[in-house]
Amino acid sequence: MRQWRILAVAVLQGALFLSRAAFPAFLLTLPIATLPLVLETKGDFETIATELNKKGVKAHAPAAIIGKSGVKHEFAFALMPDTGKARIVVDTELSVKEVDEMKVLKFYVKVFDVSPEKAVLCVSPKLGARAATLAKEYGITVLEDDVPRRLIPMAEKVVNEFVGSGGS
Amino acid sequence: MVEGKKKIFPVHYAPGKRLFHIVVTLSDAPGSYSSILDLVRTRVNLIGTSTYTRSDGTAMFSGFSEALSPTLTAEELKKLIMSSKAAISAIVFEGEDGLLVDTFHTGFVVGDEEYILMRRDGLVHVFDRVSKMLGSGGDALLFEEGVTMGQRNAEMMIKTVGARRVRAQTGVLNRFLAAQGWGILAAKEGPGKDGFTVKVVDCFECSAHGSSRTGCNFVRGYLAGGAKATFGKDYESKETKCRLKGAEACEFQLNPSRTG
Repeated sequence: MRQWRILAVAVLQGALFLSRAAFPAFLLTLPIATLPLVLETKGDFETIATELNKKGVKAHAPAAIIGKSGVKHEFAFALMPDTGKARIVVDTELSVKEVDEMKVLKFYVKVFDVSPEKAVLCVSPKLGARAATLAKEYGITVLEDDVPRRLIPMAEKVVNEFVGSGGS
Repeated sequence: MVEGKKKIFPVHYAPGKRLFHIVVTLSDAPGSYSSILDLVRTRVNLIGTSTYTRSDGTAMFSGFSEALSPTLTAEELKKLIMSSKAAISAIVFEGEDGLLVDTFHTGFVVGDEEYILMRRDGLVHVFDRVSKMLGSGGDALLFEEGVTMGQRNAEMMIKTVGARRVRAQTGVLNRFLAAQGWGILAAKEGPGKDGFTVKVVDCFECSAHGSSRTGCNFVRGYLAGGAKATFGKDYESKETKCRLKGAEACEFQLNPSRTG
């Protein structure tokens, strides 16, 4: 079972190499050990998007959004009406140790270019102290949990509250 | 004659050679420069020289040279130069072990603006690093920085030569960027209404081999920022061809922004 899992991950890594364009950018930066978790997380964001779409709220998971600069950015999840202007964007940062400020900065520059009403960063296990300060400064909503899977209902709650409140 | 890159000499390395940097303050009169050249050419082989005038009415000569004789000293060379009536003052710096560095000048001035010189390859790798660290956000950041620099440079040019001339002589002013090593720009109108296409041969941003980026976002932004300052409206800038994608030259399309 363990060997199968290692093989599956290795195949996935190979596929990422062969087909970079087909995968969200955030998947390319993660260590091998976190990949299965990410794929699971990604799948759950798709479920949230499907549910919202059924209710008539335009949601995408993953979401490719063209920013003010003309550059295309990828997020794990986004609420985006047909106007193409993102209302809320969500990304994940999973790590075996505390997530550093570079990951926050990486998310922020994408957010800056896309200018959504709300930006949510789901982090596991948690942000480092400097990263947390930076996220606060940038107005990023941070969700943290040691268990990546638990981040999905947390993000869903934030998204639903945002939708329920009618936006910003 | 074929156009090409200008050679300048902030540093020169020639193992086994005796090298001198000659700096002379001259009277800004006809014949001053040639009289110095006539004197020094009997003792040194000039590798590269530059001359410029100064606001105090004098002129400067700066030259990197190789000694024709192994016994020539900096003091002898200075004495020789000062024997000319054209020379007001002179300093001769000697290199060490075939290495000569310009220890006199402290930067570059174009018009009234100070410039710095850096390796093209070095800047491109900074861009690569920004893109690698910040992903698509890094590309957006490079675009934004390009917009800011393009706008500021165009505003500076407008302040210097006037808005009408900048608009009318875009082609000539593009050569200013070429002279600085940014690439050879050629603009033509269209295809859209009020839009234009800019072809950049030898674009600096994609000049380094092995770049991990897929486009020239800084130059794309630079052109948008320059167009905004020049024509007073926002432009959407799109790179339609890039050497990083196998094209022979980069090409950008700029059209007035539909959103304002």
